[in-house]
Amino acid sequence: MSKRYGFIIDQERCIGCNACTVACRIEHESPEGFIKVFTQNSEIKDAPTGGFPDLSMVWIPKLCNHCEFPPCIYSCPVDAIDKRADGIVIIDEQICDGCKACISACPYNAIAFNEESGIAQKCNLCAHRIDQGLEPFCALCCEGQAIYFGDFNDPTSKVSKLLKENNLFRLKEDLGTNPLIYYSPPMKKREL
Amino acid sequence: MNEQENIKLIRTACPAHCGIDCCGILAHVKDNKILKLEPAEFPFKKDKRICLRGLSTLDLLYHPDRIKTPLKRVGERGDGKFEKISWEEAYNIIVRNFREIAEKYGWKAIGWVLGGPGAGTTKFGGYLRLASLTQSTRVSAWGYGDAGLPCGSRVIFGSHLPYIYLFGEFWQREWPDLLIVWGSNPGESAPLQTMRKILDAKRSGTKVVVIDPRFTVTAAKADEYLPIIPGTDSALALGLMNLIFERNLHDMEFIREYTNGPYLVKLDNRMFLRGKDIGDRKANSYALWDKDKQEAKRVRRSNTKRAGLSGSYNVNGVHCKPAFQLLKELAEEYPPSKTAKITGIKEEKIRILAEKIGTAKKVVFFTYMGVSRTYHGDISVRGLATVASITGNVSTSFSSGYLPAVLNWDPFLNADPETPSYHRLGILNLYNAVIKGNPYQIKALWFAFVNFVNQCANSEKIIDEFFPKLDFIVQTELFMTENAKYADIILPVCTFLEFSDFLPQPYPYVQLQQKVIEPLYESKSDVDIVKGLAERLGYGEYFEGGEEAFIDLIMDHPSLKQYSREKLKDGAMYLNEIPEGTDFPLNFRTPSGKIEIYAEQLAEDGQALPLYLEPIESPVSPREHKYPLSFIQGHSRFRTHSCYGNVDSLLQIEPEPYVEINPIDAQKREITTNDMVSVYNDRAITILKAKVSNVVRPGTVNIMEGWWIDQFKEGSINHLTHDIINPVQDKIYEPNMHMNDVAVEVKKYSEGEK
Repeated sequence: MSKRYGFIIDQERCIGCNACTVACRIEHESPEGFIKVFTQNSEIKDAPTGGFPDLSMVWIPKLCNHCEFPPCIYSCPVDAIDKRADGIVIIDEQICDGCKACISACPYNAIAFNEESGIAQKCNLCAHRIDQGLEPFCALCCEGQAIYFGDFNDPTSKVSKLLKENNLFRLKEDLGTNPLIYYSPPMKKREL
Repeated sequence: MNEQENIKLIRTACPAHCGIDCCGILAHVKDNKILKLEPAEFPFKKDKRICLRGLSTLDLLYHPDRIKTPLKRVGERGDGKFEKISWEEAYNIIVRNFREIAEKYGWKAIGWVLGGPGAGTTKFGGYLRLASLTQSTRVSAWGYGDAGLPCGSRVIFGSHLPYIYLFGEFWQREWPDLLIVWGSNPGESAPLQTMRKILDAKRSGTKVVVIDPRFTVTAAKADEYLPIIPGTDSALALGLMNLIFERNLHDMEFIREYTNGPYLVKLDNRMFLRGKDIGDRKANSYALWDKDKQEAKRVRRSNTKRAGLSGSYNVNGVHCKPAFQLLKELAEEYPPSKTAKITGIKEEKIRILAEKIGTAKKVVFFTYMGVSRTYHGDISVRGLATVASITGNVSTSFSSGYLPAVLNWDPFLNADPETPSYHRLGILNLYNAVIKGNPYQIKALWFAFVNFVNQCANSEKIIDEFFPKLDFIVQTELFMTENAKYADIILPVCTFLEFSDFLPQPYPYVQLQQKVIEPLYESKSDVDIVKGLAERLGYGEYFEGGEEAFIDLIMDHPSLKQYSREKLKDGAMYLNEIPEGTDFPLNFRTPSGKIEIYAEQLAEDGQALPLYLEPIESPVSPREHKYPLSFIQGHSRFRTHSCYGNVDSLLQIEPEPYVEINPIDAQKREITTNDMVSVYNDRAITILKAKVSNVVRPGTVNIMEGWWIDQFKEGSINHLTHDIINPVQDKIYEPNMHMNDVAVEVKKYSEGEK
């Protein structure tokens, strides 16, 4: 059976450190990185929500969702974007002509325009590393060990097992894009 | 794939002065050029890690602003005007100045100001060795803000650091029922070595409480967050004890067995009743009240079980009480309502926490240096350690310990065993030594791995009164830091990727920091730099072989026999032998050999018990203060103190300093996020952006430490802090800088106005 790669990002373990962003910039020599960390429900990073002292602060790293039905692919007039058999959505930088149609089409704001090279770029799940049997660099460098990478088609993989937990969510599920990036929400606060 | 074949993989380790997390790093190298850094393997797979700073180290290594050659100052001190000179010329100038000063004032007028070495050993050892040989002055690094912890720990546990006793089995991944993170934010300052374990523990059922004036990253992961007013920690500790005692949740057996709680204290002079007072032949022994015999007896192993812990006793006309009774009486003064008022924590939260501490099977109290950076921070440490002690939550076995370092310092401290070693000054004592000649005059300083004026209290005083008194200043540096601008000679130093060192970290591993590439430009490692100086001063024989020989010297120690350089090249090795003869406390090295919940040595100072004393400056009742806000400094994930503060890849994420202010305080001052504001007190005005957020409690403002002075529009963090010495800390060990005990006011800034 073919592979179906993706992430489960554990918000309980994400400490908002940005190591994923830094790792991505290094791996892809990208100026900003294709994975970015936000503080949920807050415009300012690392600012808690709620009334003092009953506060909460939850981080959410966002990246290309490697959708099963990727709007970017349908939007690209030159067929530069492809979904590989293993689920990874990639932009072929040789074909991309920089029209930015995909950037408008992506509901997740996950595609960046590289001003220098004049093309669209985004997370490719480190396909080059996966092809060598390595995990994506952001997952490897995650300080909180919050990014679980694996094959959803392998029932023995950690991600497949975690997928059975019923509290996982995906971004903008109502759009029907069917992302391969899942989130596991933080644990509820417990009485002492 | 020829290109691939030419790439060498070298395992090294990051010695940065963070947690100390000490990540293993795998470097991809081609032709003396490092292409990439990634996390290296550890024997325990889950320990493989790297942080965002470690990842960014190539930006430090290849930073265009690196100092490339030795430099000689040509402008005024502080102007930053320098000219290139050769190493030979630099050494000649240093030797000439050192000799002149030594002739006039003696060698001890020359001081070595070393920053925190992180996990590094030889770079520290090299300086210690030359300081020892020349009998010059070593300036201790603890007082930079870390001395409060050893001051407190030495008093109650007799150990330099309290970790082994407080963290206990936590390091062996045996999770407690309750984890209390008190005034510490490992989520940013020790994410890998500590925070990962906290998250593992939490998932396994450990309940997590965070006590902090800030709603930190760690607090965001807590089951309960308790927002404390800075500097009131010992009041909270006493409030918790009050409730624990009231409900009889303390561990009487533990108190009798392991603490000096049963020892009788004479009420007239607050000193312990001794053998001589009760006619015992052991004149200096301690005494307790034997409940069976109804008389005071010398403390013996056999009679502690019969010791009275409460009440008062008349011993030959001398009024006495057990130390534990005195502690209980002190705690009685802190009922929940009063504790709540002082600490700012709700009464019912204090009640719940006390009950949980008293009833949980195992509690771990987690703290680093933040809690001890107030004027009485040493007592705060004793306070939380006393709560741990009266509830039996102290671990005393090595196997459950934390090993800060397996260090073989002796060859460095006493380079020549026949002659005395160096003189030692605490960092705040150095201020007085330079400015007032007290206890003796210091005329020259050598700064290594420290951005002194940036990171030390009362920067303006350093600039106006301290530097001008010095005849000669040397700095080894990577960059033209604020402190380097005041040096007469700057020497270009390597990053950790350009030299080798032995790292006895992180627990439970030892690692080799392996040189990955040859030093860039004309830079040298600190050991090589000091070696060159030693040769010119006639001590070359003690530095033969440089850092490589020093690593061997450290590894020569019997406790390190099982490790070899060769094996360490391939990876970290487990630390699994008790190092004999090293300064590691297997017993409580207190005067009594017990946990000292009552410290007789501080009776004359009125601090025998862990009492609550108000902060010296931080306002606890704001309305009466000219400067009504408490100013604290959290530690940022983007820097290790001031290191990495100039790295573009990190500045891109967080480009400039800001002061965090609570919406309640901001509203009163009509401040909104991104406004430029003045943070000020009598010492200085610091101008920067505001971030309005509930991340700090009302009445407290925070600026993350480590921003460089030139990154502020005006002033800086330490322009606002003070250098007041706590004489009790000076007596116990050395005085700390009280950076979290500072009062300020904040107002909106408009251009041209102050």
